[in-house]
Amino acid sequence: MNRHTLFGGAYAIAFFSFLFGPLIIMSMTAFNSSRFPRVSPWECFTTGWFNELFGNARLMEGLLNSVIIGVGVVALAVPIGLAGALALSELPAKLRAALYTVLILPILIPGVVLGISTIVLWGQISRGMGAGFLYNGYFLTIVGQITFVSAYAMLVFIARLQRFDATQTEAALDLGATPGQAFRKILLPFMAPAIGSAAFITLLASFENYNTTVFTVLSESTFTTALASKVRHGTDPSLSALAVIIITITLVGALTNEALQRRKEAEMGGRASRSPLYLNPVTRTLTHPGVVLAILVAVIGGISYAGSQHDSSVCEAGVLQEKLDRQEELRAAQRAKIEAMEAEQEKTLPKSNSAFGGAFGGLGTPAPAPEPAPKPESPSAFGGAFGGITAPKTDE
Amino acid sequence: MKHLKAAYTTLAARHGMGAALFVAIAVTLWVVVFITLPQLSMLDYSFRFNLPVDQLGTDADHYTLEQYRSFFFNNDGSINTLDITILVRTLVAALIVTAIDVIICYPIAYILAHGANGVAARLMVIGLIIPYWINEILRAFAFRVLFGATGVVNTWGMQLGLWDAPIDFIRADVALYCGLAYAYILLMIFPIYNAVEALDHTQVEAARDMGAPLWRVHWRVVLPMAKPGIASGATMVFMLTAGALAAPQILGGPSSLWFTQVIYQWFNESSNWPRGSAYAVVLLVTCISFVLLMMRVFKVSVGEIGK
Amino acid sequence: MPDRSVLLDHITIRFGNFTAVDNANLKINSGEFFSFLGPSGCGKTTMLRCISGFSEPTEGKVLIGGKDMAGVGPNKRPTALIFQHLALFPLMTVAENIAFPLEVRGVSKKERRKKADELLEMIALPGIGDKKPGELSGGQKQRVAIARALAVEPDILLLDEPLSALDLKLRQHMRTELRAIQKQVGVTFIYITHDQGEALTMSDRVAVMSRGVIEQVGEPDRIYNRPRSAFVASFVGENNAVEGIIKGQSGETAALETPMGTFEARVGGGRKYKAGDKALLFVRPEQLIPGESANAFQSVLSRQEFEGATNHVFANTGDQELRISMVNAGLAGSLPGQGETLSLGFRPLNATILPVGHMASEA
Ligand SMILES: Nc1ncnc2c1ncn2[C@@H]1O[C@H](COP(=O)(O)OP(=O)(O)O)[C@@H](O)[C@H]1O
Ligand SMILES: [Mg+2]
Repeated sequence: MNRHTLFGGAYAIAFFSFLFGPLIIMSMTAFNSSRFPRVSPWECFTTGWFNELFGNARLMEGLLNSVIIGVGVVALAVPIGLAGALALSELPAKLRAALYTVLILPILIPGVVLGISTIVLWGQISRGMGAGFLYNGYFLTIVGQITFVSAYAMLVFIARLQRFDATQTEAALDLGATPGQAFRKILLPFMAPAIGSAAFITLLASFENYNTTVFTVLSESTFTTALASKVRHGTDPSLSALAVIIITITLVGALTNEALQRRKEAEMGGRASRSPLYLNPVTRTLTHPGVVLAILVAVIGGISYAGSQHDSSVCEAGVLQEKLDRQEELRAAQRAKIEAMEAEQEKTLPKSNSAFGGAFGGLGTPAPAPEPAPKPESPSAFGGAFGGITAPKTDE
Repeated sequence: MKHLKAAYTTLAARHGMGAALFVAIAVTLWVVVFITLPQLSMLDYSFRFNLPVDQLGTDADHYTLEQYRSFFFNNDGSINTLDITILVRTLVAALIVTAIDVIICYPIAYILAHGANGVAARLMVIGLIIPYWINEILRAFAFRVLFGATGVVNTWGMQLGLWDAPIDFIRADVALYCGLAYAYILLMIFPIYNAVEALDHTQVEAARDMGAPLWRVHWRVVLPMAKPGIASGATMVFMLTAGALAAPQILGGPSSLWFTQVIYQWFNESSNWPRGSAYAVVLLVTCISFVLLMMRVFKVSVGEIGK
Repeated sequence: MPDRSVLLDHITIRFGNFTAVDNANLKINSGEFFSFLGPSGCGKTTMLRCISGFSEPTEGKVLIGGKDMAGVGPNKRPTALIFQHLALFPLMTVAENIAFPLEVRGVSKKERRKKADELLEMIALPGIGDKKPGELSGGQKQRVAIARALAVEPDILLLDEPLSALDLKLRQHMRTELRAIQKQVGVTFIYITHDQGEALTMSDRVAVMSRGVIEQVGEPDRIYNRPRSAFVASFVGENNAVEGIIKGQSGETAALETPMGTFEARVGGGRKYKAGDKALLFVRPEQLIPGESANAFQSVLSRQEFEGATNHVFANTGDQELRISMVNAGLAGSLPGQGETLSLGFRPLNATILPVGHMASEA
């Protein structure tokens, strides 16, 4: 048994490395002054990419659009999802299976198809009825996203509804409540936590969505579509900086949520009176979700402030100089090599590579092998380093 | 219809007129306006010509199979191997990604359900969810950072002496496969977890007690239990992978197009909506038939999905 | 005083082809403690839900206080139901739970609190109003559920096996308490249980149900001493059943020929038999008396179970095993040992002849 536990543990570690490794490495690149997102060679610690990120007008405009669209989607998808879950709970088995299939389908249909079908339908409607105002990116994106986002909300509600004890409603009716009162006073309060999580999930799904939105948003752009076009047209570490921000928010949210869940559980289960953490007034305050959140926010605020004061220009200038020197030397070496080749034809390449690899690998990492003719598509070291300066910020 | 009416009546009796009306209107709106009509409209569009606006409604505007014909055949009547190959390659790649996900997720789902408990299990669940709060585009970007010519994989690989020139993982589609497999891990783990969790752990112990080796316990006891979960997860992963657009755009090599990218091009670059619609219909029909076929083969129903 | 009677007028309730309640026809009097007793699945809950208005009878009528309840919803009937699992609202405090009926009737917050405190006083749990139901013990929850139901000021209180979740000690205590509450408020109680001890000790009258049919309605002692069907005789209390053939009937009693001999016994339910009819003889364990000369027969003692005040003795006559309860005679008395012959008899009026029918174990 022990052997299996060990194997299971090792597998879990490997698995979570796969899950978090890419995110950690990406986050690290946000603090490297290298123009191409990478961790080695490490050039200078910098916080400049965050400024670059906030200075990106297109992303910031997309952010605003995403918020507008997200609010619209949440406001519609949550009630629709709730309605779907309630409808399923009342239907006879056969019909329920059929409706479930129909409602769950939008999650499975490729987002591209949803996006296309949405603009085609509303394009026809606005042309046919002269209602051109319907044909705008905000409206179409909200409509297109609702189609499948509602299904996410519905799944949340179905899970919660399954734990609802229907005799609660009956008890309320028996005690004189009208069906409507029972719905408002018993079922809705019971569903309240699910409404919260459904709102959160739908907002996230709306924000994240690319496949559908890239069609429905027309000439506007959301945060995600702006992000995607930026990634497609050359990358720089300001995207990593964005990832750092999102990961930080996520971690804060997750920790606060965990504190909230723990406390709720302790209070509900009557375990509260027994837990020593809960009895001691100091630890009790410290584990309060609000306090947890405040502490986390304060710490992050402090770090951000310290980071914003950091000046890496001296170091960067040094690295730039080093790079220029190195390029000069590379050129010299190349010239020498060409001359050498002309002189004696059978000298092999690898040897000469390792020779100056040792010379320039200041941080102990070998310098990337210089390719006489770098492939245009592959972001090689130089392509990344210097291409980044003139990275195209064009629309498609 | 009769059943719908009965359901409406019970709904009204249980939750009141207001709630029943709300449910009826919202669900109708969703099913008809948001789900059905757009698909029908797209279907209709795919049977039309790509006409300038002023010719819509004229004699030139009639139904045609032209858009579908051009998927299967070139202008000269030869088979359109280019597009068909892309579709087939997309499906095969989606299948591979699905298989990878099943293989890497099954053990974790099992560990989560029966190995870990208390704090460990909680941490695992949080750890599984957190990466999914991070934008899809950024997750793909992370793999580009990882697999780029000067990415960590190449640097370390060369440092360890595994290879001595940067390998173009992007061109080799390694980054794409990894990124796609990564993207849908959660959708595979939770259905399997839900299915396996229902298994009474004493059954596993009993089987172990009788001397069965671990692989046999899994093959005979756990896997049959996990099957509906695997089917549900696989369906979702397959459909989402086949329909992915962002990851192929960001991680795909220059020579390998995803079928969704072809559709995207017809719409956004060639402005040929009917052609794009037809291709979308082809993708949709192919994916759904494929999934239905697989469900038939593995004897599971659509009702399992999303549980 | 308002009319708090319930009339079940030829009620039949079906689910598809399955008949859950079959032609129930009885009147429950105003202010009565009335129990439905029967094994689980016999249709008790179905009957209760029909009285409280959650379902309509397939056939027949329910009249409460003389008024036909057809089409009147559960929230409009003068009934309150205590659910099998209580159905307290977990998100509300105890006081909010109790005052819920007043809340939905638009009573002001202050008045609600006052009424809740009064009711908490009545169930002897003052001061728990601000707790959540999750923090209460089983017995406390039980009482809160009763208080909440009484807050409606119902004419009829319906209770669906409310004690089944409690442990034995508490259950017995709550029996007395329920009875006391009923006396105090004067509301008609309709009580459902599969536990005959509960039904017999608390109720004014009991209806015994089996397979959706009401087999017998009556006071507890009549149910016990004068069963009208094989099911009632075998379900309520212990009983020995012996098959036989009627030799002849004379008024209240009849002669029955059995493998153990021919016996004289009271005819149950005032029925008339012809000679040659098949019938069952029921004799309770405590009515089989050693040395009794009436209906005497011989048997062989096979085993004994000692239980303090009473001894359960098992004796065989031919294939038939009989159960005999004997009061512990203490050291002064004596009992034959295992394998010894035991001479037994019973008084004709203390045994019942009933038609052949299904028994409790087969229900
Ligand atoms: N809604 C229903 N649909 C079909 N059958 C039902 C329904 N409710 C109860 N039954 C059946 O009716 C019978 C009596 O049930 P019930 O009244 O709950 O028994 P109990 O006496 O244990 O309370 C059971 O066999 C049960 O399966
Ligand atoms: Mg019951």
